[in-house]
Amino acid sequence: MQSLTEREWEFLTTCLAARIAPDSAAFDADGRRRFREIVAGALAQRPEAMVKQIRLFLGVLRRAPALRYGRTLDRLSPERQDAVLRWFQDAPVQKLRQGLWGVKALVYMGTYAQPEVAPGLHYTPSFDGNAHLHA
Amino acid sequence: MRERSYDVVIVGSGAGGGTVAKELAPLCRQGLSVAVLEWGAKLPDDAFTGRELEMAGQLYFDSGGVLTAEGTMTLAFGRAYGGSTVVYTGTSLIIPPATVGRWAVPGIAWDDLAKRSRKYLAENNVHLQEDEVLNENNTLFRDGCETLGYRVQQFPVNLKGCKGSSLCNLGCPNAAKQGTNRVQLPAAEAAGVEVITNCRVDRLGDRELFTTVAEAGYGEPSRWEPGDYRVKARAVVLAASAVNSPALLLRSGFGARLPVLGRYFTAHPALILVAEHDRPISSFYGHPKSFYCDHFTASHGFLLETCMYFPFTTAKNLIGFGAEHAELMRRMDRMQMILVLAIDPALPENRVTVDANGDPVVHYRFTEEVLTALLESMRASARIFFAAGARRVHAPASASFFIGREDASRVDELIARRHLKLGRNSITSAHLMGGCRMGTSPADSVTDAWGRVHGVPWLSVADASLFPRAAEINPYVTVMALADRVAEKVRADLPELGHA
Repeated sequence: MQSLTEREWEFLTTCLAARIAPDSAAFDADGRRRFREIVAGALAQRPEAMVKQIRLFLGVLRRAPALRYGRTLDRLSPERQDAVLRWFQDAPVQKLRQGLWGVKALVYMGTYAQPEVAPGLHYTPSFDGNAHLHA
Repeated sequence: MRERSYDVVIVGSGAGGGTVAKELAPLCRQGLSVAVLEWGAKLPDDAFTGRELEMAGQLYFDSGGVLTAEGTMTLAFGRAYGGSTVVYTGTSLIIPPATVGRWAVPGIAWDDLAKRSRKYLAENNVHLQEDEVLNENNTLFRDGCETLGYRVQQFPVNLKGCKGSSLCNLGCPNAAKQGTNRVQLPAAEAAGVEVITNCRVDRLGDRELFTTVAEAGYGEPSRWEPGDYRVKARAVVLAASAVNSPALLLRSGFGARLPVLGRYFTAHPALILVAEHDRPISSFYGHPKSFYCDHFTASHGFLLETCMYFPFTTAKNLIGFGAEHAELMRRMDRMQMILVLAIDPALPENRVTVDANGDPVVHYRFTEEVLTALLESMRASARIFFAAGARRVHAPASASFFIGREDASRVDELIARRHLKLGRNSITSAHLMGGCRMGTSPADSVTDAWGRVHGVPWLSVADASLFPRAAEINPYVTVMALADRVAEKVRADLPELGHA
C-alpha cells in the first residue's frame, strides 16, 4: 500500500508541521527521520481507505487556498497559512474539521511521541515518581 | 484446521473474562477443562517501558485510536492478557443504587451487585492512598472543588506497591496495578485454566469457535502454534468488550434472532482540559487519578476526574496549533488536567455493526443534551482550575486558546456552545458499554439478567456490553460483579449442556 508521495511528505513535514508544531522545525536530521518514521508507521497501520482520505485532504489543504489567494498553501506567507489552517479547524463542514484534526494528530504524533523531545517539554516522568513528589 | 475441545471457553481476559476464568477455575479440579482465548499478547514485566507510542501499539486496539463511523469520537480499549485492566488507572467504585434503579433490569438488584463488587475490591487490594503520595495535580483539583463547594471524593484504587509512575494508561511498569493480569488470571492458570494469547475469534458456530493464532511480534508467544483452530465447547462466555462481543455475535449470524444486538451503545464521551500554573507542580509524579467530582452528575449529566496524560495524547487533545500550542506543551511540568465525562443516554441508533469483512463499526450520534453536558463540564472545570490558582486555562470550547485568570469571571461567556464543534474537538471514550444489553425479552435485549443470550443456553456474555444504560461511574468493578453472576450461572447450567 502506498503511503504518501514524496511531494505529500514534503508538504506535511515542512509546510504543515512548521505551522502546526513549530518545535518540529528545529529538529535535526535524526529528529526529522524519527518524525517521518513515526508518521509512516501510523499510516501503515491504517486501512487503505483512510490513508486515501488523508492524502485527498492533504491535496485539498494545499490547493484550496488558491481559490482565495491565488497560491497554494505552501506558497503563502506564514500568517496566511495560519489563517487557512484556522479556517479549516473551524470550517462549517464537519468533514473538513475532521480532516484538519487528523492532519494535526499526525503532526503531533511525529513531534511529541518522540521520547527525545520530552526533556524540552519539561516532561520527566519516573518509574519511581513518588520519590520525586516532595523533592 | 487444528481442533481443540473444552468444557468452557471464555473469549477475552479483561475485567469480565478474567473474573469468569477465576470463578470457573475450581471446575478444573473436578476434571473439567476451561480455556480463555485472548486476542492480545501477554507482556513480561520488563516490557512495560512507558514509551507512549510503543505501549499504545502493544496494549490497545488501533493504538487507542479506534474511530467511530462518524469520525467524531475515538475509542480506547485494551488488547492484551488482562484486557483493559492493563491500561486503566484502577479506580474502583461500586455502582450507585440509583443507577441500578435506572437500569431497571428484573433480576438485577443493587444489594447483589454491591456484595459481589466488594469481593473484588478486597481481592484487588482496593484502598484509598495516603495523603503523602497524592500529587498536586490531584490535590489542587480537590482544593479547587472544596473552595467552590463542589462535592469531591477520593478514588479508591487497586494498587499494591505503587511507586507513582503516572504511567498507568501505558501499563504499570511496577507491576503494582491489580488488574486481572495480576490477580484473577494467574489464580485461574494456577488452578488449571489455559489462557491462549494472540488468539482472535473469527466466528462462532453451534458450540464451536473458529479462531486464528498469529504471533504479535512482541510479548510472550502463545501456547498454541500459529494457525487456524476450531475450538469446541459445551459453554461459551463472551467477554471481548462492548465493541467486539456484539461484533462477534453479529458476524456469526446472531443478529437475525436478536434485533437489538449491537444497539444501545454508550460511551461516557470525554474531553481533556489543561491549565497552566505559575510554577511547576507535581503532575506526572504520583498516581494520576486520585479524585473525582460527582457534584453535577444528577443535575447536569457529567462527571469530572483528575487525569494526567502523555505528550502526544495531550498535544492532540488541545484545540489550536502553532506558537501558543507549543508554548503550553513546553511546560508540561506546570500542567494541571481534568477529564470531563458526559453521562450519555442509551439510544438504539448508537450501535455496533460489522462491515463486509466482519470488522466492528461503531455508530455514535451525539445528542444535544450530551454536548450541553460537555459544555457545562468545561465551565465547571475552568472554575476549579482558577479556584486552585491556575494562571490560565485551555478549554476545548473557548473563544481563544487561553483563558487568563483575569477573565475567570467570564468563563460562562468565553466557553460557548458555538465553539464546541464535532470534528474540531477531540472527544474520546474509554468506558465502552452496551450492545448486548440485559433484559427479559429478545425484543429489547440480548441476554437475561444472568448474561445468558436469549434462546442460546450455552452462550453467555460477561463484559460491559451487558449494560442496558451507562454505568455513570467507572464501569470495571461492575463488570466484575456481573461476570461473577455469569460464572455462577454457567457453573449451575453446565451439567445440562453437552458438546454439539
